[in-house]
Amino acid sequence: MSSDHRLALDNCIKCSICVSHCPVARVTDKFAGPKQNGPDLERFRLEEPAAVHPSIGYCTNCKGCDVVCPSGVAVSAMNCRARGEYVSLHGAPLRDKILARVDRMGRAARLAPSLVNRLAGLRPLRLLAEKMLGISAAMTMPRYAKKTFLELYKPKNIGDTGRKVLYYPGCYVNYNAPEVGLALAEVLAHNNIRVEVEQFDCCGLPLIANGLLDTARDQAKKNLAKLQGYINRGYDIVTTCPSCHLTLRQEYRELFQLNTDPLHEKMLDVFEYLSVLLQQGKLVTRFEELPLQVGYHQPCHLKAAGCGVPSREILQLIPGLRVADLDAGCCGLAGTYGFKKEKYAISQAIGRNVFNAVKELGVRQVISECGMCQLQIHHLTGVAVYHPLQVLAQACGPGKWLAK
Amino acid sequence: METDKVQVVVIGGGATGTGILRDLALRGIPAVLVEQGDLAHGTSSRFHGLLHSGARYAVKDKEAARECIEENMILRRIAPNCVELTGGLFVQLPEDDPQYADRWITACAEAGINCEEIDVQELIKKNPVLSPNVTRAFKVPDCAVDGFRILWGNVNSARRYGARVLTYHRVSAIHQSNGRVTGVELINQLNGQKRSVECEMVINAAGPWGGEVAAMAGLEVNVIKDKGTLVAYNHRLMSMVVNRLRPPGDGDIFVPHGTITILGTTSTTVDNPGCTKPGHNEVLELIKIGQEMVPELESYRLIRAFAGVRPLYQENSAAGGRSVTRNFALLDHRQRDGLAGMVSIVGGKFTTFRLMAEKTVDLVASQLGVNAPCRTAREPLTAPVSEELLERGKKVFGVPGAKKAAERLGDSFAQVVEQAEKNPDKGRIFCECEVVSLAEIEHAAHSGDSFTLGDIRRKTRMGMGTCQGTFCSYRILGALSGYPQFAGNHREYLTKFLQKRWKGMRPVLWGQQLREAQLSTGIYCTLFAMERMR
Amino acid sequence: MNKYTDVLIIGAGLSGLMAAAKAAELGKKVTLVAKGMGAVGLSSGCIDLWGYNLEDPNQVCQDPLAEIARLCAVNPQHPYARVQDVLEESLLFFRRVCQENGNPYLDHRGGNWLLPTALGTLRPTYLAPASMAVGDLQQVRGVLVVGFRELKDFYPDVLAANLKKSGVLQADCPLNTLMVCAGGGELTPNTLAHRLENPAVVDRIVDQIKPHLLPGAVLLLPPVLGERWDSQVAKNLAEKLGHPVYEVANIPPALPGQRLQQMLLHHVKGQGVEVVIGCTVNGARVADKRCTEVLATGAGKPIKISAKTVILATGSFLGGGLESKPGKAWESIFRLPVEIGHEKWSARDFLSMAGHLFNQMGIKVNEHLRPVDKTGEVIIENVMVTGANLAGCNHPIEKCGNGVAVASGYKAGKLAGEVGE
Repeated sequence: MSSDHRLALDNCIKCSICVSHCPVARVTDKFAGPKQNGPDLERFRLEEPAAVHPSIGYCTNCKGCDVVCPSGVAVSAMNCRARGEYVSLHGAPLRDKILARVDRMGRAARLAPSLVNRLAGLRPLRLLAEKMLGISAAMTMPRYAKKTFLELYKPKNIGDTGRKVLYYPGCYVNYNAPEVGLALAEVLAHNNIRVEVEQFDCCGLPLIANGLLDTARDQAKKNLAKLQGYINRGYDIVTTCPSCHLTLRQEYRELFQLNTDPLHEKMLDVFEYLSVLLQQGKLVTRFEELPLQVGYHQPCHLKAAGCGVPSREILQLIPGLRVADLDAGCCGLAGTYGFKKEKYAISQAIGRNVFNAVKELGVRQVISECGMCQLQIHHLTGVAVYHPLQVLAQACGPGKWLAK
Repeated sequence: METDKVQVVVIGGGATGTGILRDLALRGIPAVLVEQGDLAHGTSSRFHGLLHSGARYAVKDKEAARECIEENMILRRIAPNCVELTGGLFVQLPEDDPQYADRWITACAEAGINCEEIDVQELIKKNPVLSPNVTRAFKVPDCAVDGFRILWGNVNSARRYGARVLTYHRVSAIHQSNGRVTGVELINQLNGQKRSVECEMVINAAGPWGGEVAAMAGLEVNVIKDKGTLVAYNHRLMSMVVNRLRPPGDGDIFVPHGTITILGTTSTTVDNPGCTKPGHNEVLELIKIGQEMVPELESYRLIRAFAGVRPLYQENSAAGGRSVTRNFALLDHRQRDGLAGMVSIVGGKFTTFRLMAEKTVDLVASQLGVNAPCRTAREPLTAPVSEELLERGKKVFGVPGAKKAAERLGDSFAQVVEQAEKNPDKGRIFCECEVVSLAEIEHAAHSGDSFTLGDIRRKTRMGMGTCQGTFCSYRILGALSGYPQFAGNHREYLTKFLQKRWKGMRPVLWGQQLREAQLSTGIYCTLFAMERMR
Repeated sequence: MNKYTDVLIIGAGLSGLMAAAKAAELGKKVTLVAKGMGAVGLSSGCIDLWGYNLEDPNQVCQDPLAEIARLCAVNPQHPYARVQDVLEESLLFFRRVCQENGNPYLDHRGGNWLLPTALGTLRPTYLAPASMAVGDLQQVRGVLVVGFRELKDFYPDVLAANLKKSGVLQADCPLNTLMVCAGGGELTPNTLAHRLENPAVVDRIVDQIKPHLLPGAVLLLPPVLGERWDSQVAKNLAEKLGHPVYEVANIPPALPGQRLQQMLLHHVKGQGVEVVIGCTVNGARVADKRCTEVLATGAGKPIKISAKTVILATGSFLGGGLESKPGKAWESIFRLPVEIGHEKWSARDFLSMAGHLFNQMGIKVNEHLRPVDKTGEVIIENVMVTGANLAGCNHPIEKCGNGVAVASGYKAGKLAGEVGE
């Protein structure tokens, strides 16, 4: 255990703030809570690594505990390591091993995306999957795109502004929501910036959340090496998925002791990148009017990045657009979590606040940066959910980025 | 006044006293042990919890070293649930005399202590808190030992053979007639009632109070009271006991103990055997010295400091400190002072308590005309907990909860597991820092030997972790309020418990522990206004 | 990454949130950053102003505002002496915000409430949320203390035994206890509060309580009656039972403090305040006695924030605003001096009526809440200090922590609002 980890463990004064803000512990007694699973048992794990509470599987890895902790305890990292230990001792169910490989699922679905989407909607098949694998039949499955982002994206020839941008799309954008990646290209093109893309491994978050740390570590090393190569060549890296972003920057360091310092400077959420342009007076702020009222849901992993809502300032520049914060906490899906049969009800109970907030505000559209949050909010409320980039792309020009 | 009759009265509920009680019981000699407080409230729970391999004494006192290694091996065998087989290290730093190491290696070999030099780089990789400047390192069979469990193991074993224990009974007089001890008079410390016990033999095993006890019989026994301060770190800093490879001094032993690490010890002569107030300056001194072996020591969190009084014996000297021998002395007062029926066992160290008991009982038995041989080295203290029972325990208490409870409870673990299986509410973890269940706490409250929250704390470790009872003491008071001994004055019970915790926290109030103290005063003063409670 | 704002508030406790609410109301662009959730969530949820008489510290104070005026005369070093000018105004503002958000805070005819705690002690407080504001216990004709089997932190028998001893009830007042079940399992107060938001669960509780109700009895329950600040659980339970129902203060996690915190967070976000929790401020650049930039990190990433005014509401040691080593204490961001005196930091008795010196340590400020050195000279001109960061307040004993936070936070927000463009 590194010296940082020891100090973080010592920082815990047992104040219970993490317990009172844990979205899972709020709705169920099946989870012993972030404090017991994290810093409490961590003291025992220094002697006996197997000292993991079996309820560790109920942690969604939302990182709310890290955010609210006033003592700087890396609670979620302790929980992730504990889950890894638990899985290495007791093994992971086949279902978890399947769900954790969102990249493989995406590649497999590419062969016949429409068929996969149709099958995912077939009730008898879903019931069978629930019975055989434990994948909830009630949860809406993410739809696969006909073509992946990497297949669809054709870099445009844009005059050289001297800015080099590499985009890390993440699995969800690549396989399920290529329109978000295309929106990114559109927005940057609006600013005369050309976007490069590259084939990356999955950031590893679904593996981490399912306790499969060894595979995640291998992918982390590969991804980091590739990213470092681009940084060395003077690229800025932009992301649109807050979970990929946080995993690359924080989890690689916390869980695998990899040096992610270069990413702190050079890897930005796309809206952070645009904010920098704005601050430098280089953002093209010619936007078309967009008379829309949308609700905004801040994904947990964006909250955990501790830098606010990067899209806030940029979206304020769009005439006519009104953004109302749902301010309703975690949506409950937590990546693969809400797809698990035994966790579906918990996931929905957590998301109830989001449902209520959407109803209270009476908005017909919601924006949120995280693909999984988008899926859950749509599943909960039926309203259309977009990435904020799609709204921004809509304001940039004539393309059709939002459904009417 | 209640009167009792027994063959032998043992005075002192420490390691030696309980060891003697068990030895007497195993030889069939009826005995009662009297203790002024709870078992182990004195020196036996106020040391670093190191089961010496003897390596520490090898150079200076070969005899003591040999005794240590022999007893070490015996205790591993008879009390596996009380001993944590950590292994120990002796590390040498550049400023230490390199020739001492050579003398030490030879001395260890002569005393029969296995010591093996290990690769320093490898060691530091495994224990990154250790100084990178370590020049040589050796592995020895040191381990961590839980004094309280050993004591209760002794008592429970002795009880199975009919021995009795009276805690919270202070000896107020030792009766004698015609040059023979005839009995003792006791005062119940909880209700003030007096009782007397007639006996043929009194064994004075009162540790630092040994001089006071002897004085009651009109005898002079010179016990030097040597206070040692120790500190407890919030987590396990290293996996092995770590000693400094140089002549024994202050602050040169780290002992990992379950969740915590203990660093000790200082050495100051005091007048009062009950003087267990740890000093702030002694704590700072310990850290300063400890830093030589663990450079980042200052940044690690201390949860408390505590102090114990070593009873050192020197027949004709008033000197104290490290120059006085750690050996024990068995005083036959018939021979020494002309008073039959009384012996005193003084000095010594925890590791050799069983041997001290054996020698004492050998003498007592011969005076009583009993021929039975000592069996304490062969018969286990408690039966081991079966794997199957441990698995059941894990289901109700979790992995560390079950393992720790099994180690603490030994034979009684089955009962506690059953309680929690029958009623899941009892499986709730009440002390979250040390993972102690309600079932175990209730078991301790039921035992008949628990009169204060402090007694339950010593049996279970509740309130001994990071928050030092801030959260669990209120909770436990509530859960136990149905027990007659806790039904009365909540303010008094809670105040006493919190005050005891405070005594240990005060000398280490900075950094995280100061934050903890602020949280604690926030709860008991700001929120509960307990300072004005009636 | 860089951020620019008018008013930067560091800390999400009571004083920081009050400052944010006031500065935002005055039209400023406000950013609030905090390492984590502030300590107000651990508090009783009541606003303690001043608990006891200056002359007789065992006597509950009947007129806290007048007592504070006297205090400021005899102890000009007390933080109240810096905020006395806005004290009443700040309380009105606080109550207005609470009222608007559906969580009214009640006063006790200008005096102190004397509210029971889970330990059965009585605590004086000035403002209490409606769910906690038990009227005069001397007047009640019966008390029923109700606990939940699911909770391990609330014991009706302990509460009842000590409430009886306190002597506040009439000698013949019936005092009973009852354990009810809200569906089983082991629940944290938050989980139970969530469960109680389900009307069917409340009905089940009602059925269990009803047979034990004596005419005129008041019910005391643990602080779990509803999750949100505008929850109707306590009210519904009272209506269904036909008896008044109150929550008592208890050790954390407890809902009333959390509700207050959540309400204020929600309120300031609604006022346009940018709130970033999980953003740790580690240091600052200061030039010519002005803070030009605050240096923070979010998940390890450096963030620089510039602001015209910085409000330091980071709390004491507990909140992380102050740090310490043996014999040394300092403020953690600007390294402002913390006077430690020559006495011992702590008293021998944990429950000392004199309190502990460490609880009184903090930063000295002038009447504009600017940090000052020993000579009274301002150290940084555009920084204001509020709440538990302030020196000279023995809040655990005086029962004034949240009161000082409300007044100082409000004043800082107001002063920040007056800073010109």
